[in-house]
Amino acid sequence: MKDIVRQKIGINVDVMDLLNEQIAKEAHSAAAYLAMASWCDHNGLVYSADFFYKQSNEEREHMLKIFKFINENGGTAYSPEVSNINHEFNSLQEIFETALDQEIQISKSIHNIVTKCRKVMDYGTENFLQWFIQEQMEEENQFRRILEMFDLMGTDGLALKLIDERIKHGE
Amino acid sequence: MNLLYKTYYYSSYQCDQGRCFYVDFGHKRVKLSFCQLLALRQKVHNIDISSHFDKDLNYSGIEILTLCNREHLFVFDTLQIIDLKQLLKATFGILELNSLVVP
Repeated sequence: MKDIVRQKIGINVDVMDLLNEQIAKEAHSAAAYLAMASWCDHNGLVYSADFFYKQSNEEREHMLKIFKFINENGGTAYSPEVSNINHEFNSLQEIFETALDQEIQISKSIHNIVTKCRKVMDYGTENFLQWFIQEQMEEENQFRRILEMFDLMGTDGLALKLIDERIKHGE
Repeated sequence: MNLLYKTYYYSSYQCDQGRCFYVDFGHKRVKLSFCQLLALRQKVHNIDISSHFDKDLNYSGIEILTLCNREHLFVFDTLQIIDLKQLLKATFGILELNSLVVP
């Protein structure tokens, strides 16, 4: 019997399922960052708002990167539904902690796909995901550095304004 | 045509010459490209079978599925959905095994 599946698709089908789940996670992240940007905008933290608008765009770009990878390799990417976006936060510090937790979850999810790729010998997808591993390390570190500013400077009015301005300068 | 898997109600086949797949639904045999087979798998996978046992979530206990860009429309009851889930899971399992043995 011919291996028609291999002729039609360049990636493992189970890995494709995990990549589709990853698409949904990236879309959720993009939407969550928009909610954070909105909260910052409403609370006079304009530079942090800008930061989260950019983060949201980045997450959407990640989603598209995976989306196109699946389709280009003969699979089917599914446009995700996004729900359960939290718009309520107590502080900017809480927002950055939530954002870091979100990035950690995304990193774990990507590592999980890489593990699966190795198990089923899907080296093409594993290679594709290396970029994401590096990107996630940078994203996580970025949020860690920002949270360290809260530890150093505090969370009262003036400190908050200074932190907001530091975020403008690409912290 | 090579039989891939057979369940109580349905069976799946691979056609080497046509480079496509067939699913025999009993009263009707449907030709599917690999992409369409993937789409069917996704649709069936997304069906929450537990909703069939909850009157508020699925009162009638049926599922309506369209196949091949709405070329076909099927109505399935609970037992048929369970059967279809098994068919697709096993079909893809056999296809994966085939990939391992084909040099």
